[in-house]
Amino acid sequence: MAIFSVAGLHVAFGMSKVVQGVSFAVEPGKTLAIVGESGSGKSASLLGATGLLPPAATVSGSVLHKGEQLLGLPAREMRKRRGAEIGFIFQDPLSNLHPLKTIGEQIGEAVTAHRRVGRTELRELVLGLLADVGIRNPAARINDYPRQFSGGMRQRVMIAAAIALNPGLIIADEPTTALDVTVQASILDLLKRIQQDHGAAMIFVSHDLAVVSDIADDVLVMRSGQVVEQSSARVIYHAPRQAYTQELLGAARLGGLAARAPEPLPPPPPKPNLLSISGVWRSFAGRSRVGGRLIRPVLQDVSFDIGENEIVGLVGESGSGKSTIGRLVAGLDQPDEGKLSMRERVYSRPGPGGIDIDRQLRSEIQVVFQDPYASLNPRRRVRSILAEPFIVGTQLDAVAIRRRVQELVLDVELNEDLLDRFPAQLSGGQRQRVAIARAIALEPSLVVADEPVSALDVTTQVKIIRLLQTLRERKKLSLLFISHDLGVVSELCDRVIVLDKGLAVDAGETAKVFGAPRHPYTRKLIDAIPGKSLQESTMPQKVAAHG
Amino acid sequence: MAEVHALAGTEVFEGRRDVVRSYGSLVIGALLREKSFRAGVIIIAFVAVGAMLAPAVAWLLGHGPTEQFRDTALTEMGLPTGPTLEFPLGADGNGRDVLVRTLYGARVSLAIAIPATTLAMIIGTAIGLVSGFLGGRIDRIVSQGIDIALSFPFIVTALSLLTLNRGADGKVLVAPSLVVVLIITLFSWTYFARLTRGLVLVLRRSPLVEAAQTIGASKAHIILREILPNIAPVILVYWAVQLPTNIVAEATLSFLGVGVQAPEPSWGTMIAEAQRSSLYQVQPWFLLGPGIALFLTVAGFNTLSAGLRNVLDPRRHSG
Repeated sequence: MAIFSVAGLHVAFGMSKVVQGVSFAVEPGKTLAIVGESGSGKSASLLGATGLLPPAATVSGSVLHKGEQLLGLPAREMRKRRGAEIGFIFQDPLSNLHPLKTIGEQIGEAVTAHRRVGRTELRELVLGLLADVGIRNPAARINDYPRQFSGGMRQRVMIAAAIALNPGLIIADEPTTALDVTVQASILDLLKRIQQDHGAAMIFVSHDLAVVSDIADDVLVMRSGQVVEQSSARVIYHAPRQAYTQELLGAARLGGLAARAPEPLPPPPPKPNLLSISGVWRSFAGRSRVGGRLIRPVLQDVSFDIGENEIVGLVGESGSGKSTIGRLVAGLDQPDEGKLSMRERVYSRPGPGGIDIDRQLRSEIQVVFQDPYASLNPRRRVRSILAEPFIVGTQLDAVAIRRRVQELVLDVELNEDLLDRFPAQLSGGQRQRVAIARAIALEPSLVVADEPVSALDVTTQVKIIRLLQTLRERKKLSLLFISHDLGVVSELCDRVIVLDKGLAVDAGETAKVFGAPRHPYTRKLIDAIPGKSLQESTMPQKVAAHG
Repeated sequence: MAEVHALAGTEVFEGRRDVVRSYGSLVIGALLREKSFRAGVIIIAFVAVGAMLAPAVAWLLGHGPTEQFRDTALTEMGLPTGPTLEFPLGADGNGRDVLVRTLYGARVSLAIAIPATTLAMIIGTAIGLVSGFLGGRIDRIVSQGIDIALSFPFIVTALSLLTLNRGADGKVLVAPSLVVVLIITLFSWTYFARLTRGLVLVLRRSPLVEAAQTIGASKAHIILREILPNIAPVILVYWAVQLPTNIVAEATLSFLGVGVQAPEPSWGTMIAEAQRSSLYQVQPWFLLGPGIALFLTVAGFNTLSAGLRNVLDPRRHSG
């Protein structure tokens, strides 16, 4: 008997229909994964079913919880069920936790909102919950504030609040998307364990089939508000019927890296050196808890080279210093020690005036930023954004610039129609293509790409990766590819450097580093990649429908 | 909630027709749909039309703004008459037409407050842009300067400056209205500078600016083409917020007798006269005329700025 079943659910905001006729059900002790790209209506259907959408949304259909119709219930009745019988875990624990309340208070609120509990009993309850979600020494941490916890720990706190009243249904909306891969693995383990201990039903929303592969019993694939395919996990992962599911599977890099590592190429001829980083140190001044100054080392003696026409990957978790390296290479930051040079010419060293970048060198090193929403000026049209490098960096006249801009758009496989749009009128993938076009406008030798695909849907990721590969061939580019996603790196990069807490712990050809990891940290990163259980079972044939 | 955000975006930007329309026309379209903006525009247009038509009204009624009609406008006791056909809002203590003077007063108020606020916006924004973007020592000096400027009391400083404006023979050296404009500018540029500086500090470290740096754009280019267009809407909103404050400031100075000089009509001097002579007890319109006009103008600009903020403030539609 399903504890939660949705039938023929429709959600609309004004004229636009976000969810069109979605039905699913989940039984106690089982996990249903809802997978789809952004805009597919996966979150909207769950929020709509539980009455969490703003009043502007119209929701219709049937939502049965323990046999009771939820749609149309008064807000009071809904509130009684939320938290007590339905627990929620959202993507971003920082914005969902109150910054000025201790985590003990916040977990306690989840209980007292529904039940009268004495103070000592409440404390016992919260301590038990904290221990349950794997927070070490709960008695010491119960009075800490959210900022004193890491991202993964905050998500554990959120989970503790969600399971506080032992709800029969847990709804987890992209609970691991903002987390590092190793942390993601531990949160997934935790969710699985808790669900089994409590015998709860779980609905797990994600954009990534790989993430849910270890945890889902049933999978529902959504696209543009409709169900594409709905079946048991076995069927979805091993015999998907719909082309779109196959495409998602192809993009999800299931089965880890080994299956995907490029076929052993003949050892490439040594490439002439383009960029070298030697003995770079960088630290930032922070504040310690007592208010004194604290020097936080971010990079410690990092050295590596990038050859001509080579793609070098830089992997590590958040805080490993990989973005700092990108900023140093782009000349946006200065090292405390060591130096950076391009074709033997030193352009960045410590001290005042240490960054010496002339116009020529400026155009040689370009950057693609992680978030195309933030790096494109929202007030300017694509045409004007792309003309900018030519206006600043060349002496071309207006006609020539116009022509070059059109060529650029074709280079990144965008339609010319988009030139007259504003960034807000583009999809995420299109925006990132515009950002790439801007970076290659001045025909640089080196492009620093800082997490260029991590803000994108998996299927879009695959396309952008392919674009980067094409551009590398055609434009003879070198690429410093910064990413936390080992799958993407293994697919794209010739060589890889693994960073851990500012130290380059492992480096070498990608296939070698990932195929036979020498350093324990590399091993840990690889083990954390989701989709292991599938890799061990029979792997499906590599899916043909790849885009 | 990404879906919800995306929806808000498509609502504004969907369809080919919109794609070819400029950003400006999109904004204007959104502004015209905003109720409080429309209401503000109507109120301000009403005031502005009144100010423009002042000479026409004066000609129709046959009363100049400073002409005295002691025979027709004052009773035998010397008290001003209430509203009549000839004097629609009655007369003041000197037998002058309150309606005509109120309309001329609108000209004075707008002619002082608009240039003063605009000047303050230009100066404050320029200083804020430079200090926020360059940072370091320049920023510290500018911030100190702003603190010092803010620590002067407005009324006292204004009174002393206007007194200094009189030469040895007691005659004014510079036109008082010009001095009033300068004083108001002096006291309101700091707000613009602080606002701008804060906005620039956030943008300076954004990928947007770093992207411009990596293509080799100059500082001036980054400030003017990347940063300014992104903060301009907020500053414009603030202009509309600051303007009514400055209209009141002008009225305050005139009320204290140091702003616009009698007999030139200004709302401040009119209210002061009504209050000093207590004649509003006999002829309430003496006070109500300029009072309502002042209220309407301030309310109009405040409503307008609320509407502007609803549409232009980037915090409302992120992404």
